[in-house]
Amino acid sequence: MVHLKTKEECRLGNETIRVYTVELPSKHAEGILKVIKENIEGQDVIDLQHLRRFAKPKYLPPHWSLPVRKRTEGRPPTLYLLVCPANLISLKDVHDLLLQHPPFCSSADSWAYPLEIKEITVPMLAPTSPEQAAEWSELYWPTFYRKTNPFGAHPSSISKAESELQEPATDNIALPDMMKLAEEAGTATEKLGYGIRTGCVIVERVDDKTEIIAVAGDARLKPLPSETREDASCTSGNVMSHAVMRAVGMIGRKRLRVASSTQARDAFFLDLPLTPLEQQYFERDNLKPDGYLCLKLEIFLTHEPCMMCSMALVHSRVGRVIFEHRMSRTGGLTAEMVRNDTGPVGLGYGLCWRKELNWQFMCWEYTAAEYALREKEKEKARVLNGNDTEGPDEDHPEQNTTTATTICTSNAITGSHDDVNANLGMPSFTSIHV
Amino acid sequence: MVFGPIPNREYHEGFMRKAIEMAELALSSDETPVGCVFVHDGEVIGRGINGTNASLNGTRHAEFVALAEIMAKHPPSILKDTDLYVTVEPCIMCASALRQFGIRAVYFGCLNDRFGGCGGVMTVHSDPGVDPPYPVYGGLFREEAIMLLRKFYVQENNKAPDPKPKKNRELKTEILPITTPNVATPGGGTPSLELNKPILEKAAVAAKAQITQMK
Repeated sequence: MVHLKTKEECRLGNETIRVYTVELPSKHAEGILKVIKENIEGQDVIDLQHLRRFAKPKYLPPHWSLPVRKRTEGRPPTLYLLVCPANLISLKDVHDLLLQHPPFCSSADSWAYPLEIKEITVPMLAPTSPEQAAEWSELYWPTFYRKTNPFGAHPSSISKAESELQEPATDNIALPDMMKLAEEAGTATEKLGYGIRTGCVIVERVDDKTEIIAVAGDARLKPLPSETREDASCTSGNVMSHAVMRAVGMIGRKRLRVASSTQARDAFFLDLPLTPLEQQYFERDNLKPDGYLCLKLEIFLTHEPCMMCSMALVHSRVGRVIFEHRMSRTGGLTAEMVRNDTGPVGLGYGLCWRKELNWQFMCWEYTAAEYALREKEKEKARVLNGNDTEGPDEDHPEQNTTTATTICTSNAITGSHDDVNANLGMPSFTSIHV
Repeated sequence: MVFGPIPNREYHEGFMRKAIEMAELALSSDETPVGCVFVHDGEVIGRGINGTNASLNGTRHAEFVALAEIMAKHPPSILKDTDLYVTVEPCIMCASALRQFGIRAVYFGCLNDRFGGCGGVMTVHSDPGVDPPYPVYGGLFREEAIMLLRKFYVQENNKAPDPKPKKNRELKTEILPITTPNVATPGGGTPSLELNKPILEKAAVAAKAQITQMK
């Protein structure tokens, strides 16, 4: 189970910036910092609070390969100072500025080494996990994790949700069983010839107790009263009967039944149960009365939902979504457009967490842990290689590689559903809206 | 060109008038005043009003209500030769549904700047995708569509979990001219308006808010 990256995390999370650093004796650290703060303008514009301002040599990335110096050589202890972003001032100007002040000015005698300003690459934005901070500290520069994520759900909310989902309290149904139930719902409607084997389960969590309140399979192919044989070949079928739309509809109907005396208007929506499995969960009056839409409910899906269903989940104010198979050509929840940690690259809408919409929810991909791990290793290797060779691409290590290698691996893991190398419009399962 | 010139405008205004009448019906039944009609060969084959409050279902938009009516009588393929007239730009969900159904064209009144899917926030109707895109024409009776929404939003929503008191709200009648809508969200990218925002500044503010919350 891997939490999806948000649109902003994808766009910004890997951005880097060039900064100047300089080694200096510890006792002059504050003095030089003051000089920098007073003389270099525009430092407030870029927030680099996630980076240590001063770093001891021993905490710098191993690939800096700093010479091991011994105190006995009579050299005072030193620190490395992160001076400022390189785009604020030219190397020559910062050099000239520091030369005017101790310990670098000619009159100072405490510092016997030449002024050496180094330009390095650092992450521009705060890390969103302690692991990321540790990784960046090793790759770039000592980095703090401040337990915040401006680009998505708060890290503590994510870990709370993950522990609730992965370590269910007694009597609560385990995550794998929930995913299996979603699959069974899809299989049930498919067997009747009604749908394409995708399913949705909706769960309400009240005081740590979970209750399955709706189960629905896809029913886009259920023959319509109007349809003649030749029409039935329409591939998208009744778009409104995707599993998510049906399950959300069932919740509405159930609320009407449980919370009020109002009868549901029986317009032609396929949101009444079609299989015994769906009926079994629909007939129980087991949801909290006076609930609102699908506010904070938990959604378990066999597949990443299409744009219509993704936005339906936003409109319904759901709380958590877990899907099994990524739909790289029709899915609306994943945000990656260039490369990603958990599966093939999709359309990049990232509807689960868009600031411009009026609701956001947490979302996980169920079968991706192994893939994520492998990608992380690759990323690490990539950045290390990138830093060894000085080149124009050093700023964007992740752009050095094409997506080709990424895609091959992902196919092996996510299985037969995803033929990412195929073009848009090819008649495979990935081009179906789920 | 979402707000480009519409050929044969009067013909289309005739059907948009019917959509406006549906929206008025929605307002009088305590629903968000959005109305629509689907037109096939010059004939209305489906009509809908927003029904989210009555159905306790946040997806029951006017388009879906009308589509359900159509599905009861016609095969889905009829939509390939059908146009939609709707008072407010279809949302992202409806825009995607319409595209999957293969709608021929969409005519709307005003933009939906909260979750529009045809130019207001995203451009689901024309982004790269597996289904063919469809043309959209906005601006038919735009002022009336906006006024209907304003009349609704000065009311209070007692169904919301935390209804906001709106006693002091006044109905504004001034309608601002159309601002250039977003033209495309290629590959689901963020529309242009967000690109201009100082992202770092925003991020810093959000981070501070989170820290404060934790304390």
